[in-house]
Amino acid sequence: MTVAASRTEVAPAGRPETELALEGLWRVVVLNDPVNLMSYVVLVFRKIFGFDEPKARRHMLEVHEQGRSVVWTGVREKAEAYVFTLQQWQLTAILERDETH
Amino acid sequence: MKRIEVKLSLAVVAPLLDLIKATVDGLAGRLAAPQHLQDLDEELRAAWQGELLGGQNDDCRRFLALFDREFFASGTVGFDEANAEAVLRACAAIRLRLRERELANLPDEAIESGSVDSAQLSEAVAKAFLCYMFLATLQELIIEHLDSAILDGQ
Repeated sequence: MTVAASRTEVAPAGRPETELALEGLWRVVVLNDPVNLMSYVVLVFRKIFGFDEPKARRHMLEVHEQGRSVVWTGVREKAEAYVFTLQQWQLTAILERDETH
Repeated sequence: MKRIEVKLSLAVVAPLLDLIKATVDGLAGRLAAPQHLQDLDEELRAAWQGELLGGQNDDCRRFLALFDREFFASGTVGFDEANAEAVLRACAAIRLRLRERELANLPDEAIESGSVDSAQLSEAVAKAFLCYMFLATLQELIIEHLDSAILDGQ
């Protein structure tokens, strides 16, 4: 299992369109929890996704206020790696098929 | 390597360590955060959870290592880029477990706003709440002083 996913960009560059179409796109969704500190969640988003501070803060607030935030969309294998890494950091993260594509 | 040393009150922190240790023991065979892995096949799910659990155990072991002989002599614990991430994650895991067990009857709003009146709590719950807040304080200190090291690290 590939578990390390740090600062990987969204676009799965170089993947054939047909392959992406077959796999479909997957969302990495972070769910709210009443325990983790806001500053901690912002740091984790910056660390894992390379977000700048304002973007990380926007996603954190979305999680806090709406209960969930889609933090990444792309191919399944990479989405799994991100979910795993978020779970390593004790955030509640799920994988969800992106039905809009 | 940037390093911060934090002087803690032995009189306050030492009595919390037995609950922290017991909570870590309770995490030895289970993950602190809820999992939603129904999309994965059984074999992958087992490997996934096993690897998460190994990492969580390692984080907690490194966290407990802070409270060594030097801590009991001087009250000082040190954080640097070598242990900051593990300590942050361990604090999160222990807080999640405390919230799920000892603090289960406290409302989220009261905990988030800090409006819990410790005088109204039983001794056991008050101690768990003090642990919960202590771990949050450690996290805040690390994030405030070592965020660059964490973000720049691999």
